[in-house]
Amino acid sequence: MKNSDIKIISSDSDKIEINRNELAARLGVDRNFTHSTIDECKAKLLKEIQYKCAYIRTPVDLSENNVCDFGFMKIPSKNLYKNLNGCNEAFVMAVTTGIKVDRLLARLNITSQAEHFITDALSSAAVESFCDYVSDIMKSGLVCAARFSPGYGDVDIHFQKPLLDRLNAAEILGIMLNSSYLMTPVKSITAIMGIKNEKDN
Amino acid sequence: MKKITELIKEKRVYFDGGTGTVLQSLGLPAGQPPELWNITQSEKIISLHKSYLDVGCNIIKTNTFGINREKFPNYAELIRAGIECAKKAVADRDEKYIAFDMGPTGKLLEPLGDLSFETAVSIFADNVKVAAECGADLILIETMNDSYETKAAVLAAKENSDLPVFVTNVYDEGGKLMTGANPAAMIAMLEGLRVDALGMNCSLGPDKMLNIISNFKKYSSLPIIVNPNAGLPEVKDGQTVYNIGAEEFSDYMVQLAEKGATILGGCCGTTPEFILRTIQKMNDKPYEYPSEKNYTVVSSYTHAVFIDKDPILIGERINPTGKPKLKEALRTDNLNYILNEGIKQSDAGANILDVNVGLPEIDETKMMVKCVSALQSVTDLPLQIDTTKFDTLEQAMRIYNGKPLVNSVNGTEESMNAVLPIVQKYGGGLIALTIDEGGIPDNAQDRAKIAEKIINRAAEYGINKKEIIIDPLALTVSSNPDSARVTLESIRLIRAMGVKTSLGVSNISFGLPQRDIVTSVFYANALENGLNCAIMNPFSTAMMNTYFAFRALNTLDKGCVNYIDYASGIKQTSVQDNKSGDESLHISIVKGLKENAAKQAVLLLETISPLDVINNHIIPALNEIGIAFEEKKAYLPQLLMSADAASAAFEEVKKKIPSEQSDSSKAIVLATVKGDIHDIGKNIVKVLMESYGFTVYDLGRDVPPERIRDCAVEHNCKLVGLSALMTTTVPSMAETIELLNKTDKNIKVLVGGAVLTQEYADMIGADFYGKDAMDSVRYAEKFYGKD
Repeated sequence: MKNSDIKIISSDSDKIEINRNELAARLGVDRNFTHSTIDECKAKLLKEIQYKCAYIRTPVDLSENNVCDFGFMKIPSKNLYKNLNGCNEAFVMAVTTGIKVDRLLARLNITSQAEHFITDALSSAAVESFCDYVSDIMKSGLVCAARFSPGYGDVDIHFQKPLLDRLNAAEILGIMLNSSYLMTPVKSITAIMGIKNEKDN
Repeated sequence: MKKITELIKEKRVYFDGGTGTVLQSLGLPAGQPPELWNITQSEKIISLHKSYLDVGCNIIKTNTFGINREKFPNYAELIRAGIECAKKAVADRDEKYIAFDMGPTGKLLEPLGDLSFETAVSIFADNVKVAAECGADLILIETMNDSYETKAAVLAAKENSDLPVFVTNVYDEGGKLMTGANPAAMIAMLEGLRVDALGMNCSLGPDKMLNIISNFKKYSSLPIIVNPNAGLPEVKDGQTVYNIGAEEFSDYMVQLAEKGATILGGCCGTTPEFILRTIQKMNDKPYEYPSEKNYTVVSSYTHAVFIDKDPILIGERINPTGKPKLKEALRTDNLNYILNEGIKQSDAGANILDVNVGLPEIDETKMMVKCVSALQSVTDLPLQIDTTKFDTLEQAMRIYNGKPLVNSVNGTEESMNAVLPIVQKYGGGLIALTIDEGGIPDNAQDRAKIAEKIINRAAEYGINKKEIIIDPLALTVSSNPDSARVTLESIRLIRAMGVKTSLGVSNISFGLPQRDIVTSVFYANALENGLNCAIMNPFSTAMMNTYFAFRALNTLDKGCVNYIDYASGIKQTSVQDNKSGDESLHISIVKGLKENAAKQAVLLLETISPLDVINNHIIPALNEIGIAFEEKKAYLPQLLMSADAASAAFEEVKKKIPSEQSDSSKAIVLATVKGDIHDIGKNIVKVLMESYGFTVYDLGRDVPPERIRDCAVEHNCKLVGLSALMTTTVPSMAETIELLNKTDKNIKVLVGGAVLTQEYADMIGADFYGKDAMDSVRYAEKFYGKD
């Protein structure tokens, strides 16, 4: 069953600039490091990436101390509570590079560890970059808190489940959880981004 | 009342529309499962059904979409209540049917996810048993976005009830399921599994489905269901697309019907009004049942391969006959070698991969299932399951994701009696050999007779002639001078019967020198006589030359595009050959230039011994980059690229060393411990170890302690490397070390992984902590150096 308040953003893989600092950090190299293999891996990866995001804008009730109540889920957390300070709404989002990236990684894991390692880093940086891109679209003029993901700080990773269910992520994005609450496609991100009260701006 | 399967042959029937949409308007809070209302608000569910029946729907979907034992412990009670509501709504109305609605589990199946295929089957089976006992009229498997899960649900429905099975999948705008299948692939698989109707639902509005419907009409011999959404708000690069109203919806539905949809209804966002308007507009339109299509087709989880005029290449490399390396890989459970063969054949242009893992000393069924599943995680080519064991065939067909090709049945009673029922159940293209109790006839007429016998027998099982591909068998000309002529004549005869053909073409040259010369000419002859499929070596230049040239010469390659592409590939390689003279093997490895390294190794091997290539060229180069890495002058990706390059060179060296002489004295067992599914670190160590000439027994990830011990004992290997990436799996590492120590005090264990530290390593009794891959190699070198 779908909730009609879910917004979807998709984008062609070549429209999203992969963040160089993010990539360098994940490769463990200097920002200016280049190699033809990295370019080849990137070209191959871009053919497989299917960026997609689903998000909602939802009220958040912070009246109970250290509890963040989104209506469809209630997260007890000091870290998130602090992060959402001054917000009465939030964007709840899930983004993914799509399942074809998982298949590419599985193939490279057999054929070349170098290409596997590089492509893994590239796709991690890619999903982060896409997450930044969609966050900017959502914000458009609003002042927002930093993104916060389940499993980070003291927010239990189990909150992946209600979050993804609310976004109908299995159907819209193909994101599913395994028994350890890890997501497939592997290069997927869920996040909460608080919207600061306008009167506080 | 007529059976629904009868009714759909005679006239257009209509599904109901959305459930959640209507229930939300009746007060169902967002986020609450609608299925709970089957018990708590049953009168509302009944009235929902009635509202659809009143406007003329023939089939109502029970409010059971999300129910399964994983989500609801009281699933049986909820299903019973749901079907009860539907029954009350239908009461004694005529030509109204109850579809037991079954949606996805919400989990992704292996190998991408962690739900096993059989567990998925059993989850659906539990649902089906309840539904069958409660008196549903049919089973609707809907909103499936994965072909594998769809197959699990269909098998569960078929194995636990006699009810008709309808299936609808969710396609995206590109006309593909979330996990990649297109309509042709889904139709191939679902017709093979003998469902009663198929189509698409949800996700897209009817406007977008218009782009996909033609593929259903073209390929499906079954009634086509179309249950679209009322559109969905979607922002693409800043633009918003909005919902579709009832009037517009019904206009689109008329167009969909005109383009081939036979069963119409709605999904999310649609209400009785949507269906009412659709029915009103459709009333005066003629109804046409889909025609029987005559395609010979197999499929994978992404696409279908049609066997027709365009020759099909079936890669023969995954077959241990005459391949010592593959035999060794099967014995040592080295799946990577097998997967590599699969990927390479796919890259070389194979359309289908033959998989034969028959070796007397291994459990063929277990290995076949493992290989099929693993191959399907790295290649999207359809597979040909090649075995003489019936149980192996059945198990492999069961877990295969798509519609496989089966190799093979023959004209003996034993073979037909065993193979045909399996193909009847799971669906598959079927290679049939023209041999029976009397052996292989020496003339074409008698071979054709056996073909006919098999085709007739298959028909008794409901297996259509189009599913059968006759292999009239090629015997070597070295001992059967007439062989080629008889085989070619057989192809012509069988082709005249309207039946497709396949050949293991290389048999023709068995026992002759330079076999490719004979095989490729025979292949050309066979193609000229109408051969459809060849089981062959896609790495053979002579064979590929024939293939591309034949296609170009027979209007199968428009503008000779494929041929030009192929030919320019050959040319490029030779240009590179000249260039590569500049960079030495040493530099190629240090710079991480894989192809160059392999070529340089080949050049060096012409003048110096294999061992000298390793010791004087490969190892010093690796050491140079290794030291640079340790001194932080080189990065990990560089180290890995060098290791890749060294491995490529090493592969060339290995070709020159007879396998019995290869250095297996330096060996290590590697595994990511139980509970841990991360293997990137372990794989990095592996590739580096291999590049240094170690024999690596790679057990993969999530490996129980006992398996690690067994492997070490079996290969008498005294060095074990364990990897863990999660703190939660360090105890399982400790457990493994304890077991290894208990087994053999001489076994040394080196550990590594993101969460490990020297302290941790000491605490759990490891012999060595490798802070990175290079460090681990140094230790392993030292370990064997001492001996």
